[in-house]
Amino acid sequence: MEYVYSILILVGIYIVLASSFNLIIGTAGLVSIAHPIFFALGAYTAGVLAIHLHLDPFSATAAGAAVAGAFSLMISLPSLRVSGDYLLITSIGFQLGLLQVIKNLELTGSQGGLNNIPTPVAGPERGWIFSAIALAAAAAAVLLIRRIVRGSYGRAIRAMRDDELAFVALGRNAKHIKIVIFAVGCALAGVAGAIYAFYFQYVSPEQFEILASGTMLTMVVVGGMGSTWGPVVGAVLLLALPQAITFLRLPLAYMAPLQGMIFTLLVILFLFLRPQGLVAPEPPAPLSPPAR
Amino acid sequence: MLDPAVLVQIFWTGLATSSYMVLFTIAFALVLKVLKLWNFAQAGMMAIAFYAMYAAVNQFHWPTAAAVAFGLAMTLAATLAFEVLGLRTLRARRSSSLLFFIFTLVCSEFTAYTLTLIFGTEPAPLFPEILSPTRMVAGIAVSNWDLLAVGLTAALCAALALYLRTTRDGQFMLAVSDSAELAALYGINARRTYAVTFAIASVFVCAGMYLYGSRTATIPTAPLQLMLFAVIATLLGGMGSVLGGALAAVFLSLLQSYSVLVIPSQWQGLILYVFLFVTILFFPTGMHPMTLLRRALR
Repeated sequence: MEYVYSILILVGIYIVLASSFNLIIGTAGLVSIAHPIFFALGAYTAGVLAIHLHLDPFSATAAGAAVAGAFSLMISLPSLRVSGDYLLITSIGFQLGLLQVIKNLELTGSQGGLNNIPTPVAGPERGWIFSAIALAAAAAAVLLIRRIVRGSYGRAIRAMRDDELAFVALGRNAKHIKIVIFAVGCALAGVAGAIYAFYFQYVSPEQFEILASGTMLTMVVVGGMGSTWGPVVGAVLLLALPQAITFLRLPLAYMAPLQGMIFTLLVILFLFLRPQGLVAPEPPAPLSPPAR
Repeated sequence: MLDPAVLVQIFWTGLATSSYMVLFTIAFALVLKVLKLWNFAQAGMMAIAFYAMYAAVNQFHWPTAAAVAFGLAMTLAATLAFEVLGLRTLRARRSSSLLFFIFTLVCSEFTAYTLTLIFGTEPAPLFPEILSPTRMVAGIAVSNWDLLAVGLTAALCAALALYLRTTRDGQFMLAVSDSAELAALYGINARRTYAVTFAIASVFVCAGMYLYGSRTATIPTAPLQLMLFAVIATLLGGMGSVLGGALAAVFLSLLQSYSVLVIPSQWQGLILYVFLFVTILFFPTGMHPMTLLRRALR
């Protein structure tokens, strides 16, 4: 049963990650693949605060989200001043640079990772309580993103994504929207990181390398970029896939690369054969007619 | 007080080490200049070049020249397939830059996973012996590898400069890099120019991986990190300037080499990322000497 719970928890965590990543790249059209580092920031912040300052899980999770959001500003403010391409380069540089710091700091457990993160719930109920928390966080994240995307702010985001020049010509501040969306997406990844840290009680730098970006990208592209429910479908499907591969009973050394190959091949196939993904983006809600 | 001989030795070794970084940066900057594409698939090209040569040397026991030719042929084939089957379709569909970016990155990751499945994750050098005979020249240790690296890089840079200036295809590349639409109006075949650009990039990538692999053991995911160096050097040298990118690669390599004197080795990798932030914050158009001079005169 514990195995089923851990799958459910991962499903919840990856729905938050894929949905928030989709908000950044699918809805706002911002080019960044450094989402795993914000996941890491949430996990490490919550873990370090719980271990060293004995902070309660809710405050530690909030701190994880705040740190991820704050670091996102550090990247987006200078890079978006120039152009969207710079966000991509800066975010990759930030991801690799920060991982180097994490690997060398004693506070973060160095290369070996941060372990013995205290668990807020012990005993046989631990599995289902964490499953409920992770799935509730996933539902809250999806609803929050749906609310952002379906309202007038969502229309502004899509207008900016589709024609930034015209959007700016109308007097709207595209940079402001980009910074806000990037911060919201990254803060949500921080929440997912904190839940991960408290459940698995261990985080290591290898989990957040550039190749981890590929998994999230696959969930978004296969599910449907720019669609609210697409990343949910993508996350569920792509977490089920590795479980299916385990039935092949291949040696462990072949499992990870095979899984990676399937994920990346899926992205390539979807990019060319079904670019809208499994769940196409919903048409924008019609504007209400002006009051007479 | 530092011994001047030590400083000169670090300079020479740093210069030799910068050779493959220069080649990777030129390949990256050239594709960015002509195709306006951040070609993250270059990491995949680099991995294919290395493992094709590795298989030829260690599994088929071919001579070095044949192994290099095989590596180049495989890289060319993969690159042209990437251009013809992938990028042309995306261009025809007028896909967004986000899709181009995802495609190039995912191609690199797919290549890394495939090569991991075939060759494993054990670091492997190109040749069983990575130490090269060394001689003392005016008190400085100069290895055969150093001479090969500096000589090959200089020769390839000179050949590229000559190619761009004197051949029709080279002129077409410059024209397409200025404006693909205008070049098309003058009858220049942009598709062919893109393919030629990728072919030249393959030569630089293959030469770079030969130099890198004959000195260092590598794993299928290592080219992703190496490519990031090329990206940062391209940014630092000024986007669109191949020469600027190459000079920036030399500068960053020398900086990393000299940092041994003041920074513990485990923090040396951070220098690159610090430079990335400094460039984006203060020199978003790059740190090309002419740009800096113009800015100073203003």
